[in-house]
Amino acid sequence: MPGLKLTSMIVCPRTMKGRDETVKPIITAKNLCKYYKMGEVTVEALKDVNLELYESELVVVLGPSGSGKSTLLNIIGGMDKATGGELYYGDTPLHRADSNQLTFYRRNDVGFVFQFYNLMPNLTAYENINLSVQIAKNPLSIDELLEKVELSDRRDHFPSQLSGGEQQRIALARALAKNPRLLLCDEPTGALDFNTSIQILTLLKDFCRTYEKTVVIITHNTAIAGIANRVVYLKDGRLDRIEENQNPLPPERVTW
Amino acid sequence: MLWKKMLRDLNEHKGAYIACMVIIIIGLMVFTAFSMMLENLQLSQQTFYKNQNFADGFASVEALPFTEVKKLEELEGIARIQGRFVTDVRVLFPGREDNVYLRLIFLNADEQNRINDMLLLEGKPLQEGDMNILIDNKFYEANNLGLNDKLEIIAAGKRRELYVSGVGTSPEFIYALRTAADFYPSPESFGVAFIPLQTLQTLLPDKNTFNDLVFTLEPGVQYDDVEKLLEYELKPYGLRSLIPRDDQTSHLLLSEELTGLESMSTAVPVLFLSIAAVILYIVVQRMIEQQRGQIGILKALGYTNKETVFHYMSHTMIIGLAGGIVGTLLGIALSYPITNLYQMFFNMPLLKGEFSTAYYFIFGILLSLAFSLSAGYLGCKKVLNLEPAEAMRPPTPPGGKKVWLERIPVFWNTLTVQGMMSVRNISRNKGRSLFIFGGITFCFAISCFTWSMNDIIQKMIFDQYEKVETYDLKISLAAPLAEQRVLGELRTFPGVRQLEAMAEVPVTLQNKWLKKDVQLLGIAENSGLYHILDKNGREVAPPKDGLLLSERLAMLLDAKPGTMLNVESILHGSGSWEDKKLPVAGIIPQYLGLNAYMDLHALQEFLEEDGLTTSVMLSMDEGTIPRLQEEYRQSNLISNMDEKGERIRKLNEMMESFGSMIYLYSLIGIILGFSIIYISSIITTSERSRELASMMVLGMTPPEVLSVVTFEQWFISILGMAAGVPLASLFMSGISMAMSSDVFTIPPVISTYSYLMAAAVTVLSIWIAQKFAGRKIRSLSLVEVLKSAE
Repeated sequence: MPGLKLTSMIVCPRTMKGRDETVKPIITAKNLCKYYKMGEVTVEALKDVNLELYESELVVVLGPSGSGKSTLLNIIGGMDKATGGELYYGDTPLHRADSNQLTFYRRNDVGFVFQFYNLMPNLTAYENINLSVQIAKNPLSIDELLEKVELSDRRDHFPSQLSGGEQQRIALARALAKNPRLLLCDEPTGALDFNTSIQILTLLKDFCRTYEKTVVIITHNTAIAGIANRVVYLKDGRLDRIEENQNPLPPERVTW
Repeated sequence: MLWKKMLRDLNEHKGAYIACMVIIIIGLMVFTAFSMMLENLQLSQQTFYKNQNFADGFASVEALPFTEVKKLEELEGIARIQGRFVTDVRVLFPGREDNVYLRLIFLNADEQNRINDMLLLEGKPLQEGDMNILIDNKFYEANNLGLNDKLEIIAAGKRRELYVSGVGTSPEFIYALRTAADFYPSPESFGVAFIPLQTLQTLLPDKNTFNDLVFTLEPGVQYDDVEKLLEYELKPYGLRSLIPRDDQTSHLLLSEELTGLESMSTAVPVLFLSIAAVILYIVVQRMIEQQRGQIGILKALGYTNKETVFHYMSHTMIIGLAGGIVGTLLGIALSYPITNLYQMFFNMPLLKGEFSTAYYFIFGILLSLAFSLSAGYLGCKKVLNLEPAEAMRPPTPPGGKKVWLERIPVFWNTLTVQGMMSVRNISRNKGRSLFIFGGITFCFAISCFTWSMNDIIQKMIFDQYEKVETYDLKISLAAPLAEQRVLGELRTFPGVRQLEAMAEVPVTLQNKWLKKDVQLLGIAENSGLYHILDKNGREVAPPKDGLLLSERLAMLLDAKPGTMLNVESILHGSGSWEDKKLPVAGIIPQYLGLNAYMDLHALQEFLEEDGLTTSVMLSMDEGTIPRLQEEYRQSNLISNMDEKGERIRKLNEMMESFGSMIYLYSLIGIILGFSIIYISSIITTSERSRELASMMVLGMTPPEVLSVVTFEQWFISILGMAAGVPLASLFMSGISMAMSSDVFTIPPVISTYSYLMAAAVTVLSIWIAQKFAGRKIRSLSLVEVLKSAE
């Protein structure tokens, strides 16, 4: 069965150390399960998922709707708790963390990007980024980030004055500004047109490379899988398979 | 189906709806209870007055021969007039130290249909020819008397015995005060008794005239029409006072209380129902925003506008109906105990006014429905204009906007990003911000002004006895005596440290057409027992060549320092009624009583009565006071002995009952503040759950996220409290104007302590509400909230 002895098969992409056991994953999920009780019925959103995420790799999680992608991401990001199994951030057992510890995990180590941006409507672009800079230990420069997402001239605009792509770039900048080790993106291009999507993907890839961060992108768009170092396939809440991409495509060469 | 949906909707927002219902319940409870009590008291008063022939006017004279009364009845406009002899005697209860007084009203027991007749509650009616009395029920109950009990009194310096033959209640003493300086009936130490006129000779051998008159007017005749006539007729008999029913102490206090109740029974419910309406409006409006899609579907399914609007109005209808029923029922239940409470102070037979219960029940519910349905309609009328297709699309996102405060960099730059969000949120929903602002302003003002009332009454009373009247005992003489004689006798009494003569002279002061009857106090030069204080608390010497007036008296007479006043007094030595003039020497604050002051010797000179003294103030060793009281208890030269300690004790008792009212008002303030902040918090949390969840995802702790909401509330609340300061002053001056009387003056000032207490009460209610709201934020499900587009 796929997923049972994954560790042995994984090639850590940047260092290419193959089966080198000395490279420690930053996220380790062991037999992760998530059940929802819906009245009489128990819905199994995740079943026995084993997965490791490594430093500075870009992982794309693919799967049809309801396959458990978002659930997995939410659990990894400390927004939700697993019903069973173990989850480690480095050596820290997240499955035993209380909500306070999870808050600080999100605060210091995780960045989130959503399909629907979730910007604060009454904060300007700059202030939205500042919102996360304010609570970060080791933040990046807001001006630099604005330059990177090419929105320096829109810094004083409110979200309602920005296009969808612009809003998503600000959301991305806001997630990056905390300088997290892990960037989790839930359908980041789901609400965007093709060109804008490519822009966002380029930024994500770039971030992964320049800052040596781990980026996880959830999508049901198979084309995006091409830019990943590894592609995780989910099906009915189970990990179906993991594919390794020896030569990931640059985002601008992706089409759909 | 929609019915089911409504019940589930109600359940979903139960916090807000319950808060709203509580406010409706309080409002209606006050409305029903107070209206019913008011109606009952008013009806009882009218019936009681009518049945007992309550007088239209009252006169007090030195001495009027029995035979003269008949002549007065022939005066034009006078229907009936009756003469009485009224005097206070001391009652001796074995084993009791305190002063107990009985006001004896000697009257012709054979006369039918007496004016101000006592309503007989127990025993037999008054009969001429024996020492039986008809005694008032409160005194009777408070002193555990029984029928045929013997009461020992001091009359004309002798111990006498009276027998209780009946118990009754009189319209003249519904609110029974012994002197105008009392504020509170104290039935265990003051009572009223009717006694046959024939016993007057036995009890007080030197009295054989009337000194008191009560009269009724012919229909259509006003008091003013007969005043001059009576004044002219009674002057030769030493007219002391002539007042209309409106100025009679008991009637005046009862009327004022009823007026107060009337305004309270309308103002409080209107206020509470309005607040409940605003909350309902906000909740429904929010629900409609949230259920946009559902409304679209309802419309798409073919529900008419009417049905849809009715569906949303049914939410508020249920709340209004439930609150209305519970509130009115509680109010009806409460009306009986509070009416009984009033009966403790206002002594009159109550009618059983149950006939209006149904009326108030229905009216209360209709009132509640009117408020809640209009709130519901206003909240949901947007539904009408919504096209189904449009309704199913998400609403246009709220636009962010800069606010003018950002132009003040000093302020803006100190804010965190959360702070900036908060400040911008204030202008995001102006109506709601205004609601919080108004609510907090009111909550602050109501607490501030009630604490202040408490504070000021304390100050008013205790200052009077600690700083102004510093004597231990004041002996009032039955008739004026010579200063040297009185002082000479008392000076040698063991324990007396200091004593001073004082003259309390009833005078009529007049400036232009403004006239006022007051006591002019003659105080000894360099008095050590009575200190007249100015505005700043500095002692002022009683003037030798003019009068000091209290602020209120100066206002009533429109007098300023230098104004010449006509001074008219029955104690004037020459016996002439010619007006003499005195200038106003100064104006001082006075909270208890309404007086003018002058140097004792200058006053004696002015009255051409050398050595005139009406009372003596003493400073004594505490243990010796009872001995002195015992010694002079039977003296007929002394009308009253006022021990300060006893008075302060009584006042303290009164303050305690006043205190509970303060807590009640403060509680209202807290409930208001709490519900306003709580509602606005939960609405804000539901409305901005997405933003709040996003912040949680960014890694902010629940307190940090809550701070965005709370900062906004504190910001508005601080402004609200600031606005509450002038509002409280406004309340205070209103109350001061309305409540100040000749008995006491309420200064329209608010102490710093009250501001602090009000701020504390307001802050507390906000803080509690935010604690509750904080739980909502902690329970936000991040996953749910962020999953989909709004």
